Amino acid sequence: MRGGFHPDVTPKPRVKLEVTLRRLLGPDYRMGFLFVAPIVVLVLALVAYPFCYAVYLSMTRKYVGMPPVWVGLENYIRLTYDGFFQRAVVNSFTFTFASVAIKTVLGMGMALVLTSKIRFRSFWTGVLLIPWVAPTVVSALNFLWIYDYSLGVLNYLLVHVFGVLSHGVGWLSEPGTAMSSVIGVNVWRGFPFFGISFLAGMKAIPGELYEAAAVDGATVLQRFRHVTLPGIRNIVMIVLLLSTIWTFNDFAIIYILTKGGPGGATMVLPVLTYEIAFGAQRLGEAIAVALYMLPPLAFVIIVLSNYMRKGRTR
Amino acid sequence: MDSRLKNLAEQLDAGLIARREFLRKAAIVTGGTAAGLHALRGMASAQAKTKLRLWLFKSFVTAGNDVVAKQIETWAKDKNVEVEMDWATFGDREQKFVAAIEAGNPPDMAEMNLYGPMRYKAALRDVTKVASDVAASKGGLLPFAERLMKVDGKFLGVARYSMTTVFFIRKDVMEAKGLKVPKVYDPDVVEFAKKSQDPAKDLWGFGQTLNRSDDGDGFMSNILWDYGGGVFDKDGKPAIGTTFLKQNTAALQFAVDTIKKHGIQPPGVMGWTDVSNNEAYMAGKLVTTNNGASLYYAMVSKKHELAPKTTLVLTPGGPAGSFVGSSCYNWAIFHKSAKAELCEDLIRYVEDEKRFAEYIQVSVGQAGPVYKGRVDNPYWKSDPNFDAILQNILRSVNIGYPGPMTPAAAEVQGQKILTDMAGRVVVGGLSPEAALKEAHARVEEIHKIRGKA
Repeated sequence: MRGGFHPDVTPKPRVKLEVTLRRLLGPDYRMGFLFVAPIVVLVLALVAYPFCYAVYLSMTRKYVGMPPVWVGLENYIRLTYDGFFQRAVVNSFTFTFASVAIKTVLGMGMALVLTSKIRFRSFWTGVLLIPWVAPTVVSALNFLWIYDYSLGVLNYLLVHVFGVLSHGVGWLSEPGTAMSSVIGVNVWRGFPFFGISFLAGMKAIPGELYEAAAVDGATVLQRFRHVTLPGIRNIVMIVLLLSTIWTFNDFAIIYILTKGGPGGATMVLPVLTYEIAFGAQRLGEAIAVALYMLPPLAFVIIVLSNYMRKGRTR
Repeated sequence: MDSRLKNLAEQLDAGLIARREFLRKAAIVTGGTAAGLHALRGMASAQAKTKLRLWLFKSFVTAGNDVVAKQIETWAKDKNVEVEMDWATFGDREQKFVAAIEAGNPPDMAEMNLYGPMRYKAALRDVTKVASDVAASKGGLLPFAERLMKVDGKFLGVARYSMTTVFFIRKDVMEAKGLKVPKVYDPDVVEFAKKSQDPAKDLWGFGQTLNRSDDGDGFMSNILWDYGGGVFDKDGKPAIGTTFLKQNTAALQFAVDTIKKHGIQPPGVMGWTDVSNNEAYMAGKLVTTNNGASLYYAMVSKKHELAPKTTLVLTPGGPAGSFVGSSCYNWAIFHKSAKAELCEDLIRYVEDEKRFAEYIQVSVGQAGPVYKGRVDNPYWKSDPNFDAILQNILRSVNIGYPGPMTPAAAEVQGQKILTDMAGRVVVGGLSPEAALKEAHARVEEIHKIRGKA
């Protein structure tokens, strides 16, 4: 039997852990954590904590100046059966989808016109960007005056200048016209963003593709359908996604123009949230209103994101 | 350089002292100077001014804002206090209060409207002592003001003045048509409006929105009372769609009829905000409207051509009488303030009759009396139009009438339940009964929740 000194080659637990971590996370994992730590702390402090606190508050009865009282899902259950809230949900979807659809069509038209050979293209691009650049509050206050029945310029033009109507329209006082009017302002303000984004996408499409399609006998419509649209598909998806979120959360236009009236005809969720928070001063319920639509919105975002990822890998 | 250090440096250069001696003496001189400066700074800070944060209401009566700001500055100078004044408007005061209270950083003192003491009671100090003293020195509070300022038997606000609405009439049109001042809405105002208006010229007999706004909500409150109804019964329980259903149905029907049946209101009235009737009246589009004195102030101060052609009269009533809910602006001190005594001193200072007289002189009727002693102020006889303001205030009732002022009553106003109800009939196609039942369910919910507060 061979004897002698046998050094203990079994790694100590700490070394073993180190080896495992290096194998799992990479050789520079310490440095990696160091670089990532600031942004993780920022995200936790500025996003995760406020979000979790908001979720907690939405499950409390919280009045101004008083401590919150835990009520579980009571706020959400009550909202579910509240007719006023239900109408606000329907109005929010109507406002959002109608606005986004019209902005998409107008934005596409704007981009197509600006890619064609027109004179003073830069000038027109600048002019069309004005609604997007102007502050929302200023735009909304101007439209409040434009839509006024007696003193507004719109009725004046339609009745007295062009003679299209025999008498003015209460743009913000009838349920049908009130919703259309606020959608109109949102579209006016938002379509330049669509146009400029689509324009950027169209300019990135190589001219050779259009030339090849023309040589193959493709018509203008066919070139748009088979060259332009696939070329800007990702941009369209991003713009639709962003605009859907922004429009759904749009507060200023409706609050300034109608405050959700008349009779709740233009009441949307952001305005309802504000009314419950500052009018009723029920902060817990107000946050519940704001969070109620988070799951469907998150679903839309996930679906669109997946669609875009699939498009990239194809 | 310090002269002592300069001398030491010269002695070192001349070889009169050693380097070590120079360093030792220089350290003593420098240290002594630093200690002296520190002591002086401490003495200076010990005499620093106390800072007071005030939030004031920025009313449309800008001359009044200037007067109260100047008075506060004078007081601050006398008391060696540094005052930081901030202004809150009709549009942003609630947001500011909510944000400040929730952030734990409210001002020391604030000027609030009638809902303030009830809404922010958890954050406000009991000011019964100063409120009672001020009231006693002015003959006592008017009953409606006392009900608004007291929460759970304690004063949470020191009443300052009342803003109320009155009925504005184009005197020139009324005289040209040979009409009399209307006493009740139905049929007086309806007939008056029909005879005085000329829709072809875009001149309308009556301008009163039922849209979500303070103006609309105030009118709806008044009209329910005028017909013998209301939102709450005398015990403060919801009654809008039960006990008072019959009276409220008649009131709501009348309000809706002014737009849908009688055709005496401009077609766009359901889209109006609080300023729309002011603009329409001053543009010569209305013969009558309900509004606060701020409209009269705007016309008088701008020497508007309609100012001398306008008469202010008592708000018309209904079958049960004529009721008006008036505001009561007040001073409130926050719990968080460590300078409550100073705040109370300031309240006593600005509410002194001599100083309040300065304020009222520039208010053009907006600063109505809340104390019995101010009712007889000769100012109220200085303009025939002021009498309607005074009389409306004297017969004012509190929000929640015929019951007490409660958190639920304040929230019904905050959520604009009454204008939503009217809107559901005018533009939503509901019957008045259905709209009242719908509103009742919302009020019940509020009452239930607020009962747990």
